[in-house]
Amino acid sequence: MDSLARDPVERVATPIDNAMAKRQLDLELRNIRKRFGDFIAVDGVSLEVSKGQFVCLLGPSGCGKTTTLRCIAGLEDPDDGDILIGGKEATKDPPWQRDIAMMFQDFALFPHMTVARQVGFGLEMLKKPKAEIVERVKQVLSSFEIAALADRKPASLSGGQRQRVALARAMITEPRILLLDEPIGALDYSLRETVMLELKLLQQRTGISFIWVTHDQNEAFSLGDLVVVMNHARIEQQGPPEEILQRPATAFVAGFVQGNNLFRGHVKEVLAGALSVETAVGVFVVPRPLAGPIPMVGSPVSFSVRAELITDALADRHVNRLSAICTAVEYFGAVRRHVFERADGELLKVDQFGAHAARIAPRQRVVLGWAGEASVLHGAGGR
Amino acid sequence: MSTIRVRSPASYWLAVPAAAWMLGVVVVPIVLLAWVSLWGGRAFSAASALTFDNYSRFFANPTYVKLALSTLMHTATLMAVTGVLGYCIAYFLVMKVKSPGWRTALFLAFIIPFWTSTLIRAIAWVPFLGVNGVINQALMGLGATQSPIEAFLYSRTGITMAQVSLYTMMAAGPVVYMLNAVAPQWREAAMTLKAPPFVVFWRVVFPLTLPGVVIGQVLVFLNVMSDFATVATIGGNKHALLSNLVLLFYEGSQIRAASVVAVLLMICMLVGVVIALRVVDIRRLGVER
Repeated sequence: MDSLARDPVERVATPIDNAMAKRQLDLELRNIRKRFGDFIAVDGVSLEVSKGQFVCLLGPSGCGKTTTLRCIAGLEDPDDGDILIGGKEATKDPPWQRDIAMMFQDFALFPHMTVARQVGFGLEMLKKPKAEIVERVKQVLSSFEIAALADRKPASLSGGQRQRVALARAMITEPRILLLDEPIGALDYSLRETVMLELKLLQQRTGISFIWVTHDQNEAFSLGDLVVVMNHARIEQQGPPEEILQRPATAFVAGFVQGNNLFRGHVKEVLAGALSVETAVGVFVVPRPLAGPIPMVGSPVSFSVRAELITDALADRHVNRLSAICTAVEYFGAVRRHVFERADGELLKVDQFGAHAARIAPRQRVVLGWAGEASVLHGAGGR
Repeated sequence: MSTIRVRSPASYWLAVPAAAWMLGVVVVPIVLLAWVSLWGGRAFSAASALTFDNYSRFFANPTYVKLALSTLMHTATLMAVTGVLGYCIAYFLVMKVKSPGWRTALFLAFIIPFWTSTLIRAIAWVPFLGVNGVINQALMGLGATQSPIEAFLYSRTGITMAQVSLYTMMAAGPVVYMLNAVAPQWREAAMTLKAPPFVVFWRVVFPLTLPGVVIGQVLVFLNVMSDFATVATIGGNKHALLSNLVLLFYEGSQIRAASVVAVLLMICMLVGVVIALRVVDIRRLGVER
């Protein structure tokens, strides 16, 4: 039962006491629900964002991440639940009264305004004096390196320039939270990495909380302090990137995150500190769950193993063994990925890191193994 | 497959039929009108000396000048009324009616009357506005008035009412088109930048639909300036605008005077269109993204 008590500690990124954490929250979502007709877009989403945190909402399209973001912005009215921004109840506040700014997927620049006008719009709405607006716009434009574009209209800007203008327009009022809906999805692939790094640095410098919606796990894991994986309108798992990568909580997360091998089966036996799980391709040893009750014998479970933890260089500690036929080998420089076909027709991925010589050739049958601790058991129900 | 390049000989040849037609039915008559309006003397002959006498005679008559001014005032009133009404209708259709079925139904309800001729629609107002007309019957039925109001038919009010109904859709149509091009995320972006709804409208939606407003105003302006049928039917013999004067002179065989008024009308319209083009470049319809 001591494992139960560990759960909240695992979820809060910084180990400060709870009362402190509450006061520091930039955003709190309590059980948000939203449906459009018969379609449930967001179902019981709860989320806590501490001061200056970089949060990534990750999930496949239609999983409710954008609707969640729009609820935070006030552009959608949740049917149920509470939204607290900076500790203040904001559920019923219209968008123009919330301490947020938003960057839209296609940037939503006003076609009829020059860049300078556009960027100053937020300050104008705050009724700042004209001279101050002009001064501040000049500063911001030069800090975003778009001062030369001040008199241009959006139609004459490139994708990267529009992105900067949209960001400058959203950031100039220094909101508590910046909401970003697939902010780099519209950019050329070559530009994305640079822009990602810039945005991360900007976020760290300004201390503004970023809530970043994406379907790209590379973005989510390299940027987020907190990654929230969503599927079918619900949060599947939230935590720091390492935790989600190393300990996927559900079968969906394990399947969605690259580099996991998913196994489904049922509990055959409860051992000391471990379970033995019978699957279609063999019986495997899996550690007992860190939290929650131990599944009963016979109950369906799923577990996953990361591709880099499976090896063909077997040792005694690799208690789980599996024979499979290699179908393809892909070489990426730092990693060599082998794709195997399991006896049940599913694919099995094995990654070999470092510039070693190729050991396995396609069409070769190989016995693979992994240590008992390398398996990660998924949450109850094995969703 | 061949394509016709800009400024190639073929593209000029393709323009010939339309150019010839326009020359025959637009350019030549206008030149003739202008020429006839300058004929001096009393004889109706091409040998007449060219003078501005006809024009000075027109401007020397205060009745005509007053008529010209009241025509401009009347047109301005109509532009204002149809502009506001048309924008409201367009905004309602595009922004407030959510169901596509309802939107189509309402839009059809607005445009189906336009399948009949302007003259018939103007005449159709007579049984509405008359002393025993529908409006008076309704008002008396409701007890709003004891005796029928005579001011509707054969009055300036009646003319205005009929013309508003005739031309509001001309003001609304281009605005509907422009409003459809206003992406929802522009309004949402403005809202997240702390703009309350009216500011969103005034700073984002309205400027983006301005070309539609201007085109609508140009259409109303041109139509009201040249509309003599409605004025003649609803206004009876008591009221006239510049365009009725053309007809009056023509029927009185005063061809030179008719030409003068026609030329003045055309100049007014030309000035109106030039002003509109100054406000917004209506040749570049559509919102640039």
